[in-house]
Amino acid sequence: MNPDSYVLWAAAIATLGVYTILYRENPVSRLFEHIFVGLSAGYLLVATWTLNLEGKWWNPMVEQRRWYWVFAPLVGGLFYFIYSRRLVWLARLVMGLFFGAAAGTFFREFFPIYAPQITACFKPLGPRAGMGPQEFFFSVVLQNWIFVVILLSVISYFFFSIPHEGRFGRNLGRASLVGRWFLMIAFGAMFGNTVMARLSLFIGRVQFLLKDWIGHYLLWFAGRGL
Amino acid sequence: MGIQDRDNLWIRIQQVPRHYVYLLLAAVVAWQLLFPMHLPVIPSGATRGVYEAIKAVPRGKIIIISTDWDASTQAETGPQTQAVVHACFQAKKRFAVMNLGAPMGTKLAHDLAQEAAREYGAKYGSDWCNWGYKYGYENVLMALGKDIPKAVGEDFYGKAVTELPMMRHVRDIKDVGLVVEVTGLAGMTEMWIGLIQGPYRTPFATAYTAVMAPGYYPYLDSGQMKGMLVGAKGAAEMEALVDRPGKAIAIMNVQSWAHVLIIALIILGNIGYLLARGRAGGGER
Repeated sequence: MNPDSYVLWAAAIATLGVYTILYRENPVSRLFEHIFVGLSAGYLLVATWTLNLEGKWWNPMVEQRRWYWVFAPLVGGLFYFIYSRRLVWLARLVMGLFFGAAAGTFFREFFPIYAPQITACFKPLGPRAGMGPQEFFFSVVLQNWIFVVILLSVISYFFFSIPHEGRFGRNLGRASLVGRWFLMIAFGAMFGNTVMARLSLFIGRVQFLLKDWIGHYLLWFAGRGL
Repeated sequence: MGIQDRDNLWIRIQQVPRHYVYLLLAAVVAWQLLFPMHLPVIPSGATRGVYEAIKAVPRGKIIIISTDWDASTQAETGPQTQAVVHACFQAKKRFAVMNLGAPMGTKLAHDLAQEAAREYGAKYGSDWCNWGYKYGYENVLMALGKDIPKAVGEDFYGKAVTELPMMRHVRDIKDVGLVVEVTGLAGMTEMWIGLIQGPYRTPFATAYTAVMAPGYYPYLDSGQMKGMLVGAKGAAEMEALVDRPGKAIAIMNVQSWAHVLIIALIILGNIGYLLARGRAGGGER
């Protein structure tokens, strides 16, 4: 058996092993689940060292004599003082530093992320110059009007400050009910996408089992246009 | 069949053991994989957006393909990456693969790009390269914006990126004509948009697993994204656009028939529910 065959068999056995969960919870499925988690963690460790730390920290420190890099793990190591009651302030010091940096970064990200989406909500609802009735119907009424109606009704659903009483309140209640329906439709679409995603993963594994694994030995399967 | 038997049937329809459903689904999947009845693949506007964005990259600029995925979502993100890579090679655009959040994806994406490169006779270092896994999330992106060679350092093989021919004229993010984020991880898009697309106006396109795609349509509507590949469907549409039918088209064909089965089961279960409720005189309300 050549090395590729070992890999093929290992992958096939792991796939089938994980799928035994479909029958019931069992040690075989658990075993392969833990192997996968272990492999991922191990790979992360090696990749972090070889593709990051070695080139950016170790080599400059050892080969280029940038001795000051020796302080980097010492600062990082302060995190572990969280386990000491007496010296926990050292951990808080470095955590505060990270919180501050993260908050600052998020503040910087916030406006580029959300501002264009807010401005994109202001869509033209009337005909533009030179626009025919057909174009107006398809590109304004069917798109922009529907967008604005859904946007306002969904926002009204999350408007909790006014009771649904009185003339205005009752109308707000009706709008929020419509908004709730639109939300349900959106959740349905999301759930549909989730089903599609899970199925894709399953089909991908069956593709592997039939084409790559069985097809490796029985050519009929490999040539089935998978 | 007596009334009692019929009532039991309506109840039984709602309580089909899940193992039978799994088996039925597996049978439909295997049937369509082995004896496919092909359905047409029509590219959507979102998919065309990615394709057009790749073609529109100016000469002299590179494309960054951030492949933040690993084995757990490979069935969707693998074909997506493959189709995007094909589109880049066909349009003769140079690209760099990188990874910010899922180190396993570095090798998986590398293999896909290498396989496609062989087909087009493309050379590593001149037509494409792999920057490898870069740890640091936001910090990496902020550094990329200012000085790419310094932020990346070494490539997948441990060679300084400044030594790669295609990277000789790449200084900062202004030398990047497009970023394509292929991911199954939530939060990566916000980082790219917040730190690169927004501040530097770098064109941005994405490819998501179907689970996470619905949450990102507002970014497409606002123009922050040029296009979006949605799960295996997006990958299949991209495969159709680059004329390289592959795994995604096969997956979507099977997917369609599996959906027919799921819809039929949902309808059957609901019929059973409604009839059982009718027999019980309106049932619980």
